[in-house]
Amino acid sequence: MAGKEKNVARANYPKLYTSDPLAEVEPELRAKIGEMENYIMKNCLWQFNSRGWDRRTQNAGILGKTAQLLAGEEVETPTPMEKCHWVDAVMLAREFRERCAWLAGMSGDEIRAVIGKLHARIDWLTIDGSLNQELTVQNY
Amino acid sequence: MPYHEFDCSKCIPERKMHAVTKGAGEDLTSCLPLGYLNTIPGTISERGCAYCGAKHVIGTPMKDVLHVSHGPVGCTYDTWQTKRYISDNDNFQLKYTFATDVKEKHIVFGAEKMLKENILEAFDAFPHIKRMTIYQTCATALIGDDINAIAGEVMEERPDVDIFVCNSPGFGGPSQSGGHHKINIAWLNQKVGTVEPEITSDYVINYVGEYNIQGDQEVMLDFFKRMGIQVLSTFTGNGKYDDLRAMHRAHLNVLECARSAEYICDELRVRYGIPRLDIDGFGFKALGDSLRKIGLFFGIEDRAEAIIAEETARWQPELDWYKERLMGKRVCLWPGGSKLWHWAHAIQAEMGVNVVSVYTKFGHQGDMEKGVSRCGEGALAIDDPNELEGQEALRNLRPDVIFTGKRPGEVAKKMRVPYLNAHAYHNGPYKGFEGWVRFARDIYNAVYSPMHQLSALDISQDAIPGDTGFMTRRMLSDATLPEAVRNDPSMRPYTGAFDPIAAIRAKTDYPEFPRRSAIEAAE
Amino acid sequence: MNCEVKAKDRVGTINPIFTCQPCGAQYVSIGVKDCIGIVHGGQGCVMFVRLLISQHLKESFEIASSSVHEDGAVFGALDRVETAVDVLLMRYPHVKVIPIITTCSTEVIGDDIDGVITKLEDELLAVKYPDREVHLVPIHTPSFVGSMVTGYDVAVRDFVKKFATKGEPNGKVNLITGWVNPGDVTALKHLLAEMEIDATVLFEIETFDSPLMPTGDAVSHGETTVEDLQGTANALGTIALNRYEGGKAAEFLEKKFKVPAVIGPTPIGIRNTDTFLKRLSEMTGKPIPPSLVRERGIAIDAITDVAHMFLADKRVALFGNPDLVLGLAEFCLDLEMRPVLLLLGDDNGRYADDPRIKALQENAEFPMEIVTNADLWDLEDRIKNKGLELDLILGHSKGRFISIDNGVPMVRVGFPTYDRAGLFRHPVVGYAGATWLVEQIANTLFTDMEYKKNKEWLLNVW
Repeated sequence: MAGKEKNVARANYPKLYTSDPLAEVEPELRAKIGEMENYIMKNCLWQFNSRGWDRRTQNAGILGKTAQLLAGEEVETPTPMEKCHWVDAVMLAREFRERCAWLAGMSGDEIRAVIGKLHARIDWLTIDGSLNQELTVQNY
Repeated sequence: MPYHEFDCSKCIPERKMHAVTKGAGEDLTSCLPLGYLNTIPGTISERGCAYCGAKHVIGTPMKDVLHVSHGPVGCTYDTWQTKRYISDNDNFQLKYTFATDVKEKHIVFGAEKMLKENILEAFDAFPHIKRMTIYQTCATALIGDDINAIAGEVMEERPDVDIFVCNSPGFGGPSQSGGHHKINIAWLNQKVGTVEPEITSDYVINYVGEYNIQGDQEVMLDFFKRMGIQVLSTFTGNGKYDDLRAMHRAHLNVLECARSAEYICDELRVRYGIPRLDIDGFGFKALGDSLRKIGLFFGIEDRAEAIIAEETARWQPELDWYKERLMGKRVCLWPGGSKLWHWAHAIQAEMGVNVVSVYTKFGHQGDMEKGVSRCGEGALAIDDPNELEGQEALRNLRPDVIFTGKRPGEVAKKMRVPYLNAHAYHNGPYKGFEGWVRFARDIYNAVYSPMHQLSALDISQDAIPGDTGFMTRRMLSDATLPEAVRNDPSMRPYTGAFDPIAAIRAKTDYPEFPRRSAIEAAE
Repeated sequence: MNCEVKAKDRVGTINPIFTCQPCGAQYVSIGVKDCIGIVHGGQGCVMFVRLLISQHLKESFEIASSSVHEDGAVFGALDRVETAVDVLLMRYPHVKVIPIITTCSTEVIGDDIDGVITKLEDELLAVKYPDREVHLVPIHTPSFVGSMVTGYDVAVRDFVKKFATKGEPNGKVNLITGWVNPGDVTALKHLLAEMEIDATVLFEIETFDSPLMPTGDAVSHGETTVEDLQGTANALGTIALNRYEGGKAAEFLEKKFKVPAVIGPTPIGIRNTDTFLKRLSEMTGKPIPPSLVRERGIAIDAITDVAHMFLADKRVALFGNPDLVLGLAEFCLDLEMRPVLLLLGDDNGRYADDPRIKALQENAEFPMEIVTNADLWDLEDRIKNKGLELDLILGHSKGRFISIDNGVPMVRVGFPTYDRAGLFRHPVVGYAGATWLVEQIANTLFTDMEYKKNKEWLLNVW
């Protein structure tokens, strides 16, 4: 079983954002990211694991792989956990390609940058800016 | 903050932060009610207790088990025959319940001796059942009976039996959710890893957080079998005790109701490295995506696609028929915990209804995060609602239909709001493609009931139409539909059977997929 | 002797016939007007009872919980009662009566609800609600004592004890119905009206069968008032129809206020209804009117149509509330049927002295068993494993699978009967109840004959 120290570490995952990281983003790009955000929040469940540190891992794993897929990179899935992230990333990448035609005209770097901003936004919504008081509970 | 203050709760200001209205531009950083906090006494909350959360919700759907409650007889009686979690062994777990029947003398002198007699008696009465769960109750927790020790004694004396003990007294936590947690962890600690299963497929899952309400689990198992996936266990609907002891051997945990069963998935991930994949069995898109994801994980996505194509072709015309007729209907989605997020978006996207309110009676803020996200603007979200708040909300929102529990459904009835049972369903199952159409059909039948229309008429004051001897649902639902939609040949109302589960149980023609090892050997 | 009375020979309970005491107290509380009870314990003790009642009556009733959580279970939870009373009074301005109903947990931890009621009266009520009529009623119903039946009995007594106030004689009869349905109260009030007797009915629950109104504002609640309860001390006498559900209150009124108490009989069947009317007549001096002779005649006519042709010698098992079971068994005998097994679902020590049980023992002409502290396994085990042959079961819905799985037809009667529509609307008491029961029994047997093709042709001519 996980020791006490480890649990404390889970509870004290570092904060990344103290305000909406997309507050300053220009409206056109903000709207594009908004489309993606809306899709995730309405259709996905992976961003809602019950603890903050867990959400951090999920968001990074899935959105990281989504960016790789959209940018046409190879995605490694050496562990079952990463494979599971990859599964959700594949689904998300497909949806984004279908819903966000503007992605087609973007370079790999641009895509990575957009998904990076989306990642920051999802982290803000579900972790750093969340009002959920149970995110920092130490055990499941 | 978009908190919603009910007039009826102005005198208990701590309630104010338990309801929000999702306004334009609101998101989870500004719009989320408090949740899973101690109930305010005397509010007439709808919450139950942690014993029921453990025994009634999660333990009892296990089908090949004697379910014993150690306490006075009431806890047992009250949590017996009030659910529709069926099983394919003639519903043994629905039919039989066991109480140790603790009396005053046991409270004074202890009830461990009689507990042991009870256990032996129960096994003797049902000699073909060798598995037992024992649930602590308030009374036996307070007198401090050591149930684990007694269970251990019996298991030593009778090596062919196995007993699981769940210590989750009714007062443990703000709601039944405390019991969900306790039984998850207790099962994991006591039982997982104590049986080694026979692995028959390259693709092995546990199906977790699924309770086989009106056959939901059997519908989903049908899909998994068609994909050649071995479902090692279901936690816990229609589930077998020994199968659930072997959960540690799955490759993937497919999680349906995260509210009640995420704990065991999360710990299986930590302890055994089995990943957790959250799915939604409700709604064509969500279910299709769920099957695709499982297919992707195992590299058999084509098998999922084949099922989705077949089922969609069969059932989409029927779902669409209802969607046209349910468009814009106002829904209060007031279930217990997980349905508020399982259904909120899917019924809007696929049935055209408008969810004007969600509530959770025992859920946590995590459930509300999902629920609020999946609702549209203007939706009222309520945590731990109480009787007066529910009535006030119904008066203000004037929904066309409400999905809630049996008793709150009676309150809605009196307020002239048709109700569907969100926990036990009206005429389910509601999972699966056909199930989703059945749900739409049930909503339609409720909303367009001619009797509902008649209930509005005050014969002492209103003009009595008197021009017709009857109305049908379609006369009501199609009155304002465009001709093209009304007679669209690509759509039709539900054509399935009263009991779709019987056909699934009778099925034998599942495809056989050779194991990878066999293919490799052949090459 | 053909009739054995014995206790269940197992320690545990498999498929209980009753739930526990607080349920009975809650069922009483909803019969009182402007009353919302607070059940002091875990939330399930209320949530499930409300569900059970709503399943039976297809209505929702308001009952509150003190919502005891861990801290309360450890440190005492009287503060939860104080908050609950205040919250309830603030939000329900019409509420006058608040019973505080205990449960196993709060009795085990020893919460002094009588003490907290005194405290609330001296402090909260006096300071915050000085101009409001509020009555707090302590009701001790630990779940590890008795059953829902004794809980009902205790609660009726405690309500009466709280309110009964000596005043001028009111010339009324106290009629304590026991645990019955709205349809029973209608039938009983009809008999009283025909006799021109003014009565206080405990409890006025006809309104449990409430309408769905165009205004959408109907709420189900009982109609017995504080004034009704106060007046019970000044009645001509009390008739408690059910020995085990209201008998305690009748005895209390007799002892404390010298109001003569008549216990029983449960007026199920013609004979017991006759006796009930006789006792009403004796108590009030009012004659039994010709209208009731005619009504009785209609019932006997209906019974005569079916009894000796279809019902004679049919073997019946009965389970449920004790007065109901005993009343039904007596009626079965009058119908020429054989009540071979009576299951009484709790360990009430007073069964041993019940004159009805003694009479059955003395006169049974066929093997009959009466099992106390019984559960539904006592029935199912006898059918499945011990060769008990039955033609009919009379009992409530929790026994439905015994009927279904063993092919024994069952007439739903008692509480709860959620698996049949509208039964709460029909009486089992009085002449109307006798007619209803016998026709239900006959039609159920007919359906069974047809379904099993067991002399179904018999009904070609009748």
